[in-house]
Amino acid sequence: MIGRRNLSIGVRTLLALVLVILAGFPVFWMINTAMTPVDDLYSNNQRIIPDFSRTLNIFQVLVSDSPFLRWLGNSALVAGGTTLLSLLLACLAAYALSRYKFVGKGLMTFGFFATQMLPEALLIVPLYSMFMTLGLLNELYGLVLVNTAFAMPVAVFLLKSAMDTVPYEIEESARVDGCNALTILQVMFIPLIAPSLAAAAVITFFDGWNEYLFATTFIHDTSNWVASTGLASFIGEFTTPLDMVFSGAIVFTIPAAIFFLLMQRKIVAGLTAGSVKG
Amino acid sequence: MVSAIPQTRPARTKKRVRSAPYIFIGLAVLYLLFFTAFPLLTGVNLSFTNSKLLNPSAGSYVGVDNYTALITSGAFMKSVYTTLIYTAATVIGCLVLGTASALVINGFLPGRAIARTIMVLPWAVPTVALALVFRWIYNDTNGIAGDVTQGLGLGQVGWLIDPNYGMLAVVIATVWKLAPFVMLIVLAALQSVPEELYEATRVDGADAFTTFKQIVLPQIAPTMRVVALLMTIWSFRRFEIIWLLTGGGPVDATTTIVINVYRQAFNNGNLGLAAAAGVLGLLLSLIVTVVYFFVEQRATKANGVES
Repeated sequence: MIGRRNLSIGVRTLLALVLVILAGFPVFWMINTAMTPVDDLYSNNQRIIPDFSRTLNIFQVLVSDSPFLRWLGNSALVAGGTTLLSLLLACLAAYALSRYKFVGKGLMTFGFFATQMLPEALLIVPLYSMFMTLGLLNELYGLVLVNTAFAMPVAVFLLKSAMDTVPYEIEESARVDGCNALTILQVMFIPLIAPSLAAAAVITFFDGWNEYLFATTFIHDTSNWVASTGLASFIGEFTTPLDMVFSGAIVFTIPAAIFFLLMQRKIVAGLTAGSVKG
Repeated sequence: MVSAIPQTRPARTKKRVRSAPYIFIGLAVLYLLFFTAFPLLTGVNLSFTNSKLLNPSAGSYVGVDNYTALITSGAFMKSVYTTLIYTAATVIGCLVLGTASALVINGFLPGRAIARTIMVLPWAVPTVALALVFRWIYNDTNGIAGDVTQGLGLGQVGWLIDPNYGMLAVVIATVWKLAPFVMLIVLAALQSVPEELYEATRVDGADAFTTFKQIVLPQIAPTMRVVALLMTIWSFRRFEIIWLLTGGGPVDATTTIVINVYRQAFNNGNLGLAAAAGVLGLLLSLIVTVVYFFVEQRATKANGVES
Protein backbone atom coordinates (compact mmCIF):
# COMPACT_ATOMS: atom_id res chain seq x y z
CA MET A 1 0.00 0.00 0.00
CA ILE A 2 2.83 2.34 0.81
CA GLY A 3 4.28 1.57 -2.60
CA ARG A 4 1.04 2.63 -4.24
CA ARG A 5 1.10 5.93 -2.41
CA ASN A 6 4.68 6.62 -3.49
CA LEU A 7 3.87 5.72 -7.05
CA SER A 8 0.95 8.07 -7.03
CA ILE A 9 3.24 10.92 -6.01
CA GLY A 10 5.26 10.31 -9.17
CA VAL A 11 2.15 10.29 -11.34
CA ARG A 12 0.74 13.31 -9.57
CA THR A 13 3.97 15.25 -10.02
CA LEU A 14 3.83 14.55 -13.75
CA LEU A 15 0.17 15.59 -13.97
CA ALA A 16 0.87 18.69 -11.91
CA LEU A 17 3.64 19.61 -14.33
CA VAL A 18 1.25 19.34 -17.29
CA LEU A 19 -1.36 21.46 -15.49
CA VAL A 20 1.23 24.06 -14.53
CA ILE A 21 2.33 24.37 -18.16
CA LEU A 22 -1.29 24.64 -19.39
CA ALA A 23 -2.21 27.21 -16.76
CA GLY A 24 0.97 29.22 -17.04
CA PHE A 25 1.38 29.26 -20.81
CA PRO A 26 -0.92 32.15 -21.80
CA VAL A 27 0.63 34.34 -19.09
CA PHE A 28 4.09 33.35 -20.27
CA TRP A 29 3.02 34.11 -23.83
CA MET A 30 1.84 37.55 -22.79
CA ILE A 31 5.30 38.27 -21.36
CA ASN A 32 7.07 36.71 -24.32
CA THR A 33 5.08 38.75 -26.84
CA ALA A 34 5.76 41.97 -24.98
CA MET A 35 9.48 41.23 -25.03
CA THR A 36 9.67 40.37 -28.73
CA PRO A 37 10.33 42.98 -31.46
CA VAL A 38 7.23 43.33 -33.63
CA ASP A 39 8.96 42.19 -36.83
CA ASP A 40 9.89 38.89 -35.19
CA LEU A 41 6.28 38.33 -34.09
CA TYR A 42 5.13 38.08 -37.67
CA SER A 43 8.04 35.98 -38.88
CA ASN A 44 8.01 32.23 -39.06
CA ASN A 45 10.50 31.61 -36.31
CA GLN A 46 8.99 33.24 -33.25
CA ARG A 47 11.02 33.60 -30.09
CA ILE A 48 9.96 31.25 -27.37
CA ILE A 49 12.26 32.74 -24.78
CA PRO A 50 11.48 36.31 -23.73
CA ASP A 51 14.15 38.88 -24.53
CA PHE A 52 14.19 40.60 -21.15
CA SER A 53 16.75 43.17 -22.28
CA ARG A 54 13.84 45.00 -23.89
CA THR A 55 11.93 45.35 -20.62
CA LEU A 56 12.82 48.93 -19.75
CA ASN A 57 12.60 50.15 -23.31
CA ILE A 58 9.17 48.72 -24.01
CA PHE A 59 7.59 50.16 -20.89
CA GLN A 60 9.09 53.56 -21.69
CA VAL A 61 7.49 53.43 -25.13
CA LEU A 62 4.17 52.41 -23.61
CA VAL A 63 4.16 55.37 -21.25
CA SER A 64 5.30 57.96 -23.80
CA ASP A 65 3.38 56.78 -26.89
CA SER A 66 -0.06 56.11 -25.44
CA PRO A 67 -2.28 57.65 -22.77
CA PHE A 68 -1.90 54.40 -20.87
CA LEU A 69 -0.70 55.97 -17.63
CA ARG A 70 -3.70 58.26 -17.62
CA TRP A 71 -6.02 55.28 -18.21
CA LEU A 72 -4.36 53.37 -15.38
CA GLY A 73 -4.87 56.38 -13.13
CA ASN A 74 -8.55 56.49 -14.09
CA SER A 75 -8.84 52.77 -13.34
CA ALA A 76 -7.29 53.34 -9.93
CA LEU A 77 -9.74 56.17 -9.22
CA VAL A 78 -12.76 54.09 -10.26
CA ALA A 79 -11.52 51.04 -8.37
CA GLY A 80 -10.64 53.05 -5.26
CA GLY A 81 -14.01 54.79 -5.24
CA THR A 82 -15.81 51.47 -5.72
CA THR A 83 -13.89 50.00 -2.78
CA LEU A 84 -14.64 52.87 -0.38
CA LEU A 85 -18.32 53.10 -1.22
CA SER A 86 -18.83 49.31 -1.24
CA LEU A 87 -17.10 48.76 2.09
CA LEU A 88 -18.97 51.59 3.78
CA LEU A 89 -22.36 50.23 2.70
CA ALA A 90 -21.35 46.59 3.20
CA CYS A 91 -19.98 47.02 6.75
CA LEU A 92 -23.25 48.50 7.95
CA ALA A 93 -25.41 45.95 6.11
CA ALA A 94 -23.28 43.02 7.27
CA TYR A 95 -23.50 44.20 10.87
CA ALA A 96 -27.28 44.27 10.66
CA LEU A 97 -27.40 40.80 9.10
CA SER A 98 -24.97 39.35 11.61
CA ARG A 99 -26.25 40.85 14.84
CA TYR A 100 -29.96 41.51 14.50
CA LYS A 101 -33.13 39.63 13.80
CA PHE A 102 -35.66 41.68 11.95
CA VAL A 103 -38.64 41.38 9.66
CA GLY A 104 -37.57 41.10 6.03
CA LYS A 105 -34.08 39.80 6.81
CA GLY A 106 -34.51 36.68 4.68
CA LEU A 107 -35.91 38.66 1.79
CA MET A 108 -33.05 41.15 1.93
CA THR A 109 -30.46 38.35 2.06
CA PHE A 110 -32.05 36.82 -1.01
CA GLY A 111 -32.04 40.25 -2.65
CA PHE A 112 -28.30 40.56 -2.12
CA PHE A 113 -27.77 37.08 -3.60
CA ALA A 114 -30.09 37.77 -6.52
CA THR A 115 -27.82 40.57 -7.75
CA GLN A 116 -25.35 37.80 -8.67
CA MET A 117 -27.89 36.55 -11.17
CA LEU A 118 -28.69 39.78 -12.97
CA PRO A 119 -27.18 40.02 -16.43
CA GLU A 120 -25.39 43.35 -16.78
CA ALA A 121 -26.39 43.32 -20.44
CA LEU A 122 -30.05 43.60 -19.43
CA LEU A 123 -29.51 46.33 -16.83
CA ILE A 124 -27.19 48.35 -19.01
CA VAL A 125 -29.99 49.63 -21.26
CA PRO A 126 -32.12 51.18 -18.49
CA LEU A 127 -28.98 52.26 -16.62
CA TYR A 128 -27.75 54.01 -19.74
CA SER A 129 -30.90 56.12 -20.06
CA MET A 130 -30.95 56.69 -16.29
CA PHE A 131 -27.35 57.93 -16.36
CA MET A 132 -28.11 60.10 -19.36
CA THR A 133 -30.91 61.80 -17.41
CA LEU A 134 -28.74 62.24 -14.31
CA GLY A 135 -25.75 63.50 -16.30
CA LEU A 136 -23.57 60.60 -15.14
CA LEU A 137 -22.47 59.44 -18.58
CA ASN A 138 -18.81 60.04 -19.35
CA GLU A 139 -18.04 60.55 -15.66
CA LEU A 140 -15.68 58.33 -13.69
CA TYR A 141 -17.86 58.55 -10.58
CA GLY A 142 -20.74 57.23 -12.65
CA LEU A 143 -18.69 54.05 -13.06
CA VAL A 144 -18.04 54.01 -9.30
CA LEU A 145 -21.79 54.13 -8.65
CA VAL A 146 -22.64 51.29 -11.01
CA ASN A 147 -19.67 49.07 -10.06
CA THR A 148 -20.59 49.39 -6.39
CA ALA A 149 -24.02 47.93 -7.10
CA PHE A 150 -22.40 44.71 -8.31
CA ALA A 151 -19.39 44.55 -5.97
CA MET A 152 -21.03 45.49 -2.67
CA PRO A 153 -23.30 42.42 -2.20
CA VAL A 154 -20.26 40.11 -2.34
CA ALA A 155 -18.58 42.23 0.33
CA VAL A 156 -21.73 42.01 2.45
CA PHE A 157 -21.63 38.19 2.48
CA LEU A 158 -17.92 38.08 3.17
CA LEU A 159 -18.12 40.56 6.04
CA LYS A 160 -21.25 38.98 7.50
CA SER A 161 -19.59 35.57 7.79
CA ALA A 162 -16.54 37.22 9.39
CA MET A 163 -18.72 39.09 11.89
CA ASP A 164 -20.59 35.88 12.73
CA THR A 165 -17.37 34.52 14.22
CA VAL A 166 -16.97 37.44 16.63
CA PRO A 167 -18.27 36.35 20.08
CA TYR A 168 -21.26 38.21 21.51
CA GLU A 169 -19.48 38.75 24.82
CA ILE A 170 -17.16 41.30 23.25
CA GLU A 171 -19.86 43.75 22.35
CA GLU A 172 -21.80 42.97 25.51
CA SER A 173 -19.22 44.68 27.71
CA ALA A 174 -19.06 47.64 25.36
CA ARG A 175 -22.83 47.94 25.46
CA VAL A 176 -22.81 47.98 29.23
CA ASP A 177 -20.30 50.81 29.00
CA GLY A 178 -22.92 52.73 27.05
CA CYS A 179 -21.44 52.49 23.60
CA ASN A 180 -23.98 52.62 20.80
CA ALA A 181 -24.04 50.12 17.95
CA LEU A 182 -22.16 52.34 15.54
CA THR A 183 -19.29 52.86 17.98
CA ILE A 184 -19.18 49.13 18.69
CA LEU A 185 -18.98 48.46 14.97
CA GLN A 186 -16.18 50.98 14.50
CA VAL A 187 -14.08 50.33 17.55
CA MET A 188 -14.59 46.63 18.24
CA PHE A 189 -15.64 44.90 15.03
CA ILE A 190 -13.51 46.54 12.40
CA PRO A 191 -10.17 45.60 14.01
CA LEU A 192 -11.37 42.04 14.69
CA ILE A 193 -12.47 41.38 11.13
CA ALA A 194 -9.55 43.25 9.54
CA PRO A 195 -8.35 40.27 7.41
CA SER A 196 -11.81 39.77 5.90
CA LEU A 197 -12.14 43.50 5.40
CA ALA A 198 -8.87 43.42 3.47
CA ALA A 199 -10.16 40.53 1.34
CA ALA A 200 -13.39 42.42 0.68
CA ALA A 201 -11.34 45.47 -0.27
CA VAL A 202 -9.34 43.41 -2.78
CA ILE A 203 -12.47 41.90 -4.33
CA THR A 204 -14.27 45.21 -4.70
CA PHE A 205 -11.14 47.02 -5.88
CA PHE A 206 -10.54 44.56 -8.69
CA ASP A 207 -14.22 44.44 -9.59
CA GLY A 208 -13.77 48.11 -10.42
CA TRP A 209 -10.30 47.62 -11.89
CA ASN A 210 -11.28 44.82 -14.29
CA GLU A 211 -14.76 45.98 -15.25
CA TYR A 212 -15.18 46.53 -18.98
CA LEU A 213 -18.83 46.49 -20.10
CA PHE A 214 -20.07 49.59 -18.28
CA ALA A 215 -16.80 51.43 -18.85
CA THR A 216 -16.93 50.92 -22.60
CA THR A 217 -20.62 51.80 -22.87
CA PHE A 218 -20.77 54.80 -20.55
CA ILE A 219 -17.46 56.58 -21.23
CA HIS A 220 -16.94 58.16 -24.64
CA ASP A 221 -14.01 60.58 -24.14
CA THR A 222 -10.73 58.73 -24.61
CA SER A 223 -9.20 60.88 -21.86
CA ASN A 224 -11.75 59.48 -19.42
CA TRP A 225 -11.22 55.88 -20.50
CA VAL A 226 -10.08 53.35 -17.95
CA ALA A 227 -7.30 50.87 -18.65
CA SER A 228 -9.69 48.00 -19.55
CA THR A 229 -11.37 50.10 -22.27
CA GLY A 230 -8.03 51.44 -23.43
CA LEU A 231 -6.52 47.99 -23.73
CA ALA A 232 -9.60 46.56 -25.41
CA SER A 233 -9.47 49.37 -27.97
CA PHE A 234 -6.19 47.86 -29.19
CA ILE A 235 -8.13 44.74 -30.22
CA GLY A 236 -8.75 44.50 -33.93
CA GLU A 237 -6.75 47.58 -34.88
CA PHE A 238 -3.26 47.25 -36.24
CA THR A 239 -1.79 50.65 -35.55
CA THR A 240 -0.58 49.87 -32.03
CA PRO A 241 2.50 47.62 -31.99
CA LEU A 242 1.77 44.28 -30.34
CA ASP A 243 4.72 44.43 -27.97
CA MET A 244 3.33 47.68 -26.62
CA VAL A 245 -0.18 46.23 -26.31
CA PHE A 246 1.13 43.32 -24.29
CA SER A 247 3.35 45.41 -22.08
CA GLY A 248 0.17 47.34 -21.27
CA ALA A 249 -1.65 44.09 -20.56
CA ILE A 250 1.15 43.05 -18.19
CA VAL A 251 1.08 46.34 -16.29
CA PHE A 252 -2.70 46.02 -16.04
CA THR A 253 -2.50 42.39 -14.84
CA ILE A 254 0.29 42.60 -12.26
CA PRO A 255 -1.53 44.41 -9.43
CA ALA A 256 -4.61 42.22 -9.86
CA ALA A 257 -2.55 39.02 -9.96
CA ILE A 258 -0.48 39.84 -6.88
CA PHE A 259 -3.43 40.77 -4.70
CA PHE A 260 -5.61 37.90 -5.88
CA LEU A 261 -2.87 35.38 -5.21
CA LEU A 262 -2.24 36.80 -1.73
CA MET A 263 -5.93 36.79 -0.86
CA GLN A 264 -7.12 33.69 -2.77
CA ARG A 265 -8.51 31.74 0.18
CA LYS A 266 -10.45 34.67 1.62
CA ILE A 267 -11.80 35.63 -1.78
CA VAL A 268 -13.09 32.14 -2.47
CA ALA A 269 -14.76 32.17 0.94
CA GLY A 270 -16.39 35.49 0.13
CA LEU A 271 -17.64 34.50 -3.29
CA THR A 272 -19.23 31.31 -2.02
CA ALA A 273 -20.34 32.47 1.44
CA GLY A 274 -23.54 33.99 0.12
CA SER A 275 -24.80 30.82 -1.45
CA VAL A 276 -23.36 28.31 0.99
CA LYS A 277 -24.49 29.94 4.17
CA GLY A 278 -27.19 32.37 3.08
CA MET B 1 -30.10 52.38 27.11
CA VAL B 2 -28.87 50.13 29.87
CA SER B 3 -32.40 49.08 30.73
CA ALA B 4 -32.81 47.79 27.18
CA ILE B 5 -30.15 45.14 27.67
CA PRO B 6 -31.87 41.81 28.14
CA GLN B 7 -30.34 39.14 30.34
CA THR B 8 -30.13 36.13 28.03
CA ARG B 9 -29.13 35.77 24.43
CA PRO B 10 -32.40 34.49 22.85
CA ALA B 11 -34.35 37.19 24.61
CA ARG B 12 -31.84 39.79 23.49
CA THR B 13 -32.11 38.92 19.84
CA LYS B 14 -35.87 39.03 20.03
CA LYS B 15 -36.11 42.27 21.91
CA ARG B 16 -33.65 44.09 19.72
CA VAL B 17 -36.25 44.56 16.97
CA ARG B 18 -35.83 48.29 16.61
CA SER B 19 -35.00 50.77 13.95
CA ALA B 20 -31.22 50.19 14.24
CA PRO B 21 -30.94 47.17 11.87
CA TYR B 22 -33.10 48.91 9.29
CA ILE B 23 -30.90 51.98 9.38
CA PHE B 24 -27.75 49.87 9.05
CA ILE B 25 -28.98 47.71 6.19
CA GLY B 26 -31.22 50.41 4.74
CA LEU B 27 -28.45 52.29 2.97
CA ALA B 28 -27.29 49.20 1.09
CA VAL B 29 -30.85 48.13 0.31
CA LEU B 30 -31.84 51.56 -1.00
CA TYR B 31 -28.66 51.65 -3.04
CA LEU B 32 -29.44 48.30 -4.66
CA LEU B 33 -33.07 49.25 -5.20
CA PHE B 34 -31.94 52.35 -7.05
CA PHE B 35 -29.12 50.85 -9.11
CA THR B 36 -30.39 47.30 -9.76
CA ALA B 37 -34.06 46.80 -8.88
CA PHE B 38 -35.24 50.03 -10.46
CA PRO B 39 -33.31 49.51 -13.73
CA LEU B 40 -34.53 45.91 -13.72
CA LEU B 41 -38.16 47.03 -13.53
CA THR B 42 -37.49 49.70 -16.15
CA GLY B 43 -35.99 46.95 -18.29
CA VAL B 44 -39.06 44.75 -17.86
CA ASN B 45 -41.23 47.74 -18.70
CA LEU B 46 -39.12 48.49 -21.79
CA SER B 47 -39.60 44.92 -22.97
CA PHE B 48 -43.28 45.69 -23.59
CA THR B 49 -42.51 48.73 -25.73
CA ASN B 50 -41.02 49.42 -29.15
CA SER B 51 -38.49 51.94 -27.77
CA LYS B 52 -35.45 52.83 -29.82
CA LEU B 53 -31.98 53.78 -28.59
CA LEU B 54 -32.01 57.17 -30.34
CA ASN B 55 -35.14 58.31 -28.52
CA PRO B 56 -35.84 55.96 -25.61
CA SER B 57 -38.86 57.83 -24.25
CA ALA B 58 -40.74 57.92 -27.57
CA GLY B 59 -41.65 54.22 -27.55
CA SER B 60 -45.22 53.03 -27.18
CA TYR B 61 -46.58 49.87 -25.62
CA VAL B 62 -46.82 46.90 -27.94
CA GLY B 63 -47.93 44.26 -25.44
CA VAL B 64 -46.11 40.97 -25.73
CA ASP B 65 -45.14 41.58 -29.37
CA ASN B 66 -41.43 41.57 -28.56
CA TYR B 67 -41.71 38.24 -26.78
CA THR B 68 -43.67 36.59 -29.58
CA ALA B 69 -41.22 38.03 -32.10
CA LEU B 70 -38.30 36.57 -30.18
CA ILE B 71 -39.78 33.16 -29.53
CA THR B 72 -40.77 32.74 -33.17
CA SER B 73 -37.43 34.04 -34.49
CA GLY B 74 -34.80 31.50 -35.36
CA ALA B 75 -31.99 33.88 -34.37
CA PHE B 76 -33.15 34.24 -30.77
CA MET B 77 -33.84 30.54 -30.28
CA LYS B 78 -30.40 29.83 -31.67
CA SER B 79 -28.89 32.21 -29.10
CA VAL B 80 -30.72 30.28 -26.36
CA TYR B 81 -29.28 27.07 -27.74
CA THR B 82 -25.81 28.68 -27.96
CA THR B 83 -26.11 29.84 -24.35
CA LEU B 84 -27.02 26.32 -23.20
CA ILE B 85 -24.12 24.78 -25.14
CA TYR B 86 -21.67 27.38 -23.84
CA THR B 87 -22.94 26.94 -20.28
CA ALA B 88 -22.86 23.14 -20.35
CA ALA B 89 -19.38 23.07 -21.88
CA THR B 90 -17.83 25.61 -19.52
CA VAL B 91 -19.50 24.26 -16.38
CA ILE B 92 -18.53 20.66 -17.13
CA GLY B 93 -15.07 21.69 -18.32
CA CYS B 94 -14.40 23.79 -15.22
CA LEU B 95 -15.76 21.18 -12.81
CA VAL B 96 -13.80 18.31 -14.34
CA LEU B 97 -10.53 20.18 -14.82
CA GLY B 98 -10.86 22.08 -11.53
CA THR B 99 -11.60 18.94 -9.51
CA ALA B 100 -8.84 16.98 -11.24
CA SER B 101 -6.38 19.79 -10.53
CA ALA B 102 -7.43 19.89 -6.90
CA LEU B 103 -6.95 16.11 -6.54
CA VAL B 104 -3.52 16.34 -8.16
CA ILE B 105 -2.33 19.19 -5.98
CA ASN B 106 -3.90 17.94 -2.72
CA GLY B 107 -1.34 16.39 -0.37
CA PHE B 108 2.44 16.30 -0.56
CA LEU B 109 4.06 17.16 -3.86
CA PRO B 110 7.51 18.52 -4.65
CA GLY B 111 7.26 22.25 -5.40
CA ARG B 112 3.61 22.27 -4.36
CA ALA B 113 3.46 25.95 -3.35
CA ILE B 114 4.84 27.16 -6.68
CA ALA B 115 2.71 24.74 -8.69
CA ARG B 116 -0.38 25.85 -6.83
CA THR B 117 0.38 29.53 -7.40
CA ILE B 118 0.86 29.07 -11.14
CA MET B 119 -2.28 26.94 -11.37
CA VAL B 120 -4.33 29.69 -9.69
CA LEU B 121 -2.80 32.44 -11.81
CA PRO B 122 -5.28 32.37 -14.75
CA TRP B 123 -8.11 33.24 -12.40
CA ALA B 124 -6.28 36.43 -11.39
CA VAL B 125 -5.74 37.64 -14.96
CA PRO B 126 -8.22 40.41 -15.91
CA THR B 127 -10.60 39.41 -18.70
CA VAL B 128 -9.42 42.13 -21.05
CA ALA B 129 -5.80 40.95 -20.76
CA LEU B 130 -6.98 37.36 -21.22
CA ALA B 131 -8.85 38.33 -24.37
CA LEU B 132 -5.80 40.09 -25.80
CA VAL B 133 -3.49 37.14 -25.28
CA PHE B 134 -5.99 34.51 -26.46
CA ARG B 135 -6.77 36.49 -29.60
CA TRP B 136 -3.06 36.51 -30.30
CA ILE B 137 -2.71 32.80 -29.55
CA TYR B 138 -5.69 32.05 -31.83
CA ASN B 139 -4.48 34.45 -34.56
CA ASP B 140 -5.10 32.70 -37.87
CA THR B 141 -1.76 33.58 -39.48
CA ASN B 142 0.75 34.01 -36.64
CA GLY B 143 -0.94 32.44 -33.61
CA ILE B 144 0.85 29.73 -31.70
CA ALA B 145 -2.34 27.62 -31.62
CA GLY B 146 -2.12 27.41 -35.40
CA ASP B 147 1.54 26.33 -35.16
CA VAL B 148 0.51 23.57 -32.78
CA THR B 149 -2.33 22.28 -34.98
CA GLN B 150 -0.03 22.38 -38.00
CA GLY B 151 2.62 20.51 -36.06
CA LEU B 152 0.02 17.87 -35.22
CA GLY B 153 -0.87 17.59 -38.89
CA LEU B 154 -4.33 19.11 -38.41
CA GLY B 155 -3.52 22.06 -40.59
CA GLN B 156 -4.18 25.73 -39.86
CA VAL B 157 -7.36 26.13 -37.80
CA GLY B 158 -9.18 29.46 -38.01
CA TRP B 159 -10.04 29.48 -34.31
CA LEU B 160 -11.77 32.84 -34.35
CA ILE B 161 -12.89 32.98 -37.99
CA ASP B 162 -14.20 29.45 -38.58
CA PRO B 163 -17.78 29.01 -37.25
CA ASN B 164 -16.95 25.39 -36.39
CA TYR B 165 -14.24 26.42 -33.95
CA GLY B 166 -15.47 29.73 -32.51
CA MET B 167 -17.38 28.12 -29.64
CA LEU B 168 -14.50 25.80 -28.79
CA ALA B 169 -12.09 28.73 -28.73
CA VAL B 170 -14.32 30.69 -26.35
CA VAL B 171 -14.94 27.67 -24.12
CA ILE B 172 -11.21 26.94 -23.85
CA ALA B 173 -10.46 30.52 -22.82
CA THR B 174 -13.31 30.50 -20.27
CA VAL B 175 -12.29 27.18 -18.76
CA TRP B 176 -8.69 28.36 -18.60
CA LYS B 177 -9.75 31.34 -16.50
CA LEU B 178 -12.35 29.69 -14.27
CA ALA B 179 -11.19 26.12 -13.64
CA PRO B 180 -8.64 27.48 -11.10
CA PHE B 181 -11.52 29.00 -9.14
CA VAL B 182 -13.20 25.58 -8.94
CA MET B 183 -9.84 24.09 -7.98
CA LEU B 184 -9.51 26.45 -5.01
CA ILE B 185 -12.99 25.66 -3.74
CA VAL B 186 -12.66 21.90 -4.17
CA LEU B 187 -9.21 22.03 -2.56
CA ALA B 188 -10.72 23.67 0.50
CA ALA B 189 -13.43 21.00 0.61
CA LEU B 190 -10.88 18.19 0.19
CA GLN B 191 -8.86 19.45 3.11
CA SER B 192 -11.88 19.02 5.34
CA VAL B 193 -12.14 15.30 4.47
CA PRO B 194 -10.91 13.48 7.61
CA GLU B 195 -7.59 11.66 7.13
CA GLU B 196 -9.01 8.55 8.87
CA LEU B 197 -11.33 7.98 5.93
CA TYR B 198 -8.37 7.67 3.61
CA GLU B 199 -6.58 5.41 6.07
CA ALA B 200 -9.54 3.06 6.21
CA THR B 201 -9.69 2.54 2.45
CA ARG B 202 -5.94 2.26 2.21
CA VAL B 203 -6.03 -0.67 4.61
CA ASP B 204 -8.75 -2.19 2.46
CA GLY B 205 -6.41 -1.94 -0.50
CA ALA B 206 -8.75 0.18 -2.58
CA ASP B 207 -7.31 1.79 -5.70
CA ALA B 208 -7.28 5.53 -6.25
CA PHE B 209 -10.45 5.61 -8.33
CA THR B 210 -12.48 3.60 -5.81
CA THR B 211 -11.21 5.82 -3.01
CA PHE B 212 -12.33 8.88 -4.93
CA LYS B 213 -15.75 7.50 -5.76
CA GLN B 214 -16.55 5.99 -2.38
CA ILE B 215 -14.87 8.38 0.04
CA VAL B 216 -13.96 11.68 -1.51
CA LEU B 217 -16.85 12.37 -3.86
CA PRO B 218 -19.64 12.06 -1.26
CA GLN B 219 -17.69 14.41 1.01
CA ILE B 220 -17.23 17.12 -1.60
CA ALA B 221 -20.56 16.65 -3.39
CA PRO B 222 -22.41 19.50 -1.61
CA THR B 223 -19.58 21.89 -2.45
CA MET B 224 -19.60 20.74 -6.06
CA ARG B 225 -23.32 21.39 -6.30
CA VAL B 226 -22.92 24.97 -5.06
CA VAL B 227 -20.05 25.56 -7.46
CA ALA B 228 -22.06 24.08 -10.32
CA LEU B 229 -24.91 26.49 -9.53
CA LEU B 230 -22.63 29.51 -9.35
CA MET B 231 -20.82 28.57 -12.55
CA THR B 232 -24.12 28.02 -14.35
CA ILE B 233 -25.59 31.36 -13.31
CA TRP B 234 -22.36 33.14 -14.17
CA SER B 235 -22.19 31.43 -17.57
CA PHE B 236 -25.72 32.54 -18.45
CA ARG B 237 -24.79 36.16 -17.91
CA ARG B 238 -21.13 36.11 -19.00
CA PHE B 239 -20.48 38.82 -21.52
CA GLU B 240 -16.94 40.13 -21.53
CA ILE B 241 -14.90 37.04 -22.51
CA ILE B 242 -17.18 36.24 -25.44
CA TRP B 243 -17.59 39.82 -26.58
CA LEU B 244 -13.88 40.58 -26.52
CA LEU B 245 -12.82 37.31 -28.15
CA THR B 246 -15.37 36.93 -30.94
CA GLY B 247 -17.99 39.66 -30.55
CA GLY B 248 -20.54 36.86 -30.93
CA GLY B 249 -19.04 35.61 -34.19
CA PRO B 250 -17.83 33.98 -36.33
CA VAL B 251 -21.24 34.06 -38.07
CA ASP B 252 -23.14 34.10 -34.74
CA ALA B 253 -21.44 30.90 -33.58
CA THR B 254 -20.93 32.39 -30.11
CA THR B 255 -23.92 34.75 -29.95
CA THR B 256 -25.36 33.91 -26.54
CA ILE B 257 -28.45 35.59 -25.12
CA VAL B 258 -26.53 38.44 -23.47
CA ILE B 259 -24.49 39.09 -26.62
CA ASN B 260 -27.80 39.15 -28.49
CA VAL B 261 -29.20 41.66 -25.97
CA TYR B 262 -26.21 43.97 -26.29
CA ARG B 263 -26.12 43.87 -30.10
CA GLN B 264 -29.87 44.37 -30.33
CA ALA B 265 -29.66 47.41 -28.05
CA PHE B 266 -26.45 49.13 -29.07
CA ASN B 267 -25.91 47.99 -32.68
CA ASN B 268 -29.51 47.81 -33.88
CA GLY B 269 -30.97 50.29 -31.42
CA ASN B 270 -34.01 48.14 -30.61
CA LEU B 271 -34.25 48.71 -26.87
CA GLY B 272 -37.62 47.02 -26.47
CA LEU B 273 -36.56 43.85 -28.23
CA ALA B 274 -33.23 43.81 -26.37
CA ALA B 275 -34.96 44.17 -23.01
CA ALA B 276 -37.34 41.31 -23.81
CA ALA B 277 -34.40 39.06 -24.72
CA GLY B 278 -32.70 40.03 -21.46
CA VAL B 279 -35.81 39.21 -19.44
CA LEU B 280 -36.02 35.77 -21.04
CA GLY B 281 -32.34 35.21 -20.20
CA LEU B 282 -32.96 36.17 -16.60
CA LEU B 283 -35.90 33.72 -16.43
CA LEU B 284 -33.52 30.97 -17.51
CA SER B 285 -31.21 31.78 -14.55
CA LEU B 286 -34.18 31.84 -12.20
CA ILE B 287 -35.36 28.43 -13.36
CA VAL B 288 -31.91 26.95 -12.78
CA THR B 289 -31.71 28.48 -9.30
CA VAL B 290 -35.14 27.17 -8.34
CA VAL B 291 -34.27 23.69 -9.62
CA TYR B 292 -31.01 23.84 -7.66
CA PHE B 293 -32.74 24.67 -4.39
CA PHE B 294 -35.29 21.92 -5.07
CA VAL B 295 -32.57 19.34 -5.69
CA GLU B 296 -30.58 20.58 -2.71
CA GLN B 297 -33.58 20.21 -0.39
CA ARG B 298 -34.22 16.67 -1.56
CA ALA B 299 -30.54 15.84 -1.09
CA THR B 300 -30.62 17.29 2.42
CA LYS B 301 -33.73 15.31 3.27
CA ALA B 302 -32.25 12.12 1.84
CA ASN B 303 -29.13 12.55 3.97
CA GLY B 304 -31.16 13.12 7.10
CA VAL B 305 -30.54 16.18 9.22
CA GLU B 306 -27.76 18.32 7.90
CA SER B 307 -27.09 21.98 8.27
